[in-house]
Amino acid sequence: MEHITVGQHAAAHSHPITGPPTYALVLLALLTLTALTVTAAGINFGPYNMVIALVIATVKASLVALFFMHLRHDKFSAVIFLTGLLFLALFLIFTLFDINTRTPLFPDNLKEPVKEFPGAPLNKPVQPSTGAAPAGS
Amino acid sequence: MSEATTTLPAAPEHPPFLQHHYRAMGQQFDAGKIGMWLFLVTEVLLFGGLFVGYAIMHAKHPAAFFEAHHQLSRTLGTVNTVVLLVSSFTMVLAVWSAQTSKRKLLILFLTLTLLCAATFMVVKGFEYHHKFAEGLLPGNFYTHRGDTVPGQFMFFSFYFMMTGLHGIHVLCGMGAISWLLRRAIRGHFSSAYYNPVDLVGLYWHLVDMVWIYLFPLLYLIS
Repeated sequence: MEHITVGQHAAAHSHPITGPPTYALVLLALLTLTALTVTAAGINFGPYNMVIALVIATVKASLVALFFMHLRHDKFSAVIFLTGLLFLALFLIFTLFDINTRTPLFPDNLKEPVKEFPGAPLNKPVQPSTGAAPAGS
Repeated sequence: MSEATTTLPAAPEHPPFLQHHYRAMGQQFDAGKIGMWLFLVTEVLLFGGLFVGYAIMHAKHPAAFFEAHHQLSRTLGTVNTVVLLVSSFTMVLAVWSAQTSKRKLLILFLTLTLLCAATFMVVKGFEYHHKFAEGLLPGNFYTHRGDTVPGQFMFFSFYFMMTGLHGIHVLCGMGAISWLLRRAIRGHFSSAYYNPVDLVGLYWHLVDMVWIYLFPLLYLIS
């Protein structure tokens, strides 16, 4: 009859319950980081502005995941979640690898929303419509 | 034959919220947790598609995104970020109240979470109203004039798809929290059974987490 007790108290009581003081500290940290990211956005760090904003966002998201979502006590769920993030990273990284080998989707001098795509071959750069003759003609 | 049934040992007390296909409350709790985390992974990948699209278009047209984002109110964005972070805090306190069988506090914290969510949607409504009035609509519906950089309409396509999908998630969360509130008032939750509160809490924190990334990507472009 051992099988009946399998998992009986596995999840609900095996971890210490985190109390409100810890959560309040986490909220304080999250609000401080929000103020920090808004302040940092007002300062010009050149190309690093976006990096700083994303690092702060990742720290905030980690605090939410570890404390509010209890992942620091829940290794199994953490593995599920990190697997999902791994696939998101693959999706993002391989797509970004690819974009630098592509021509723009529409010319840079476009003034209006795209109603029709020019349909230029993807292996040739799109000619800017400045009246210049295409090279080689 | 009737003797056989009467001599069976008395069945252990069946917990009122244990579903028949689980052996024990702990198993039911674990199964629910795995299911919710798998669902959250699909949510991450759903939003992931939009994030990847945003990354590509922002990388290709940084000036257009930078100019277009000035149409957003940084103040309202910050207010909404704070509101959503506070709602995550009240939600986790609701889970704690359920874990420690504090029914009145559970009702209080669920109500506060619901109020924060409603505040978020009202602020979002004001923001959307401003965009509609200015013709800052996605794709073909973009009728704003006076853009200084071509391609600014793209930013608003992403803005509406990302905040719109997120807003739908907030509304679903509000529905789920209302359901929890109804059950909490009926006294269903205690330290012996709080899976629904825990699982809706996880969903709510994911919605918060998505906004944590949307806020700098849409409102804080430099």
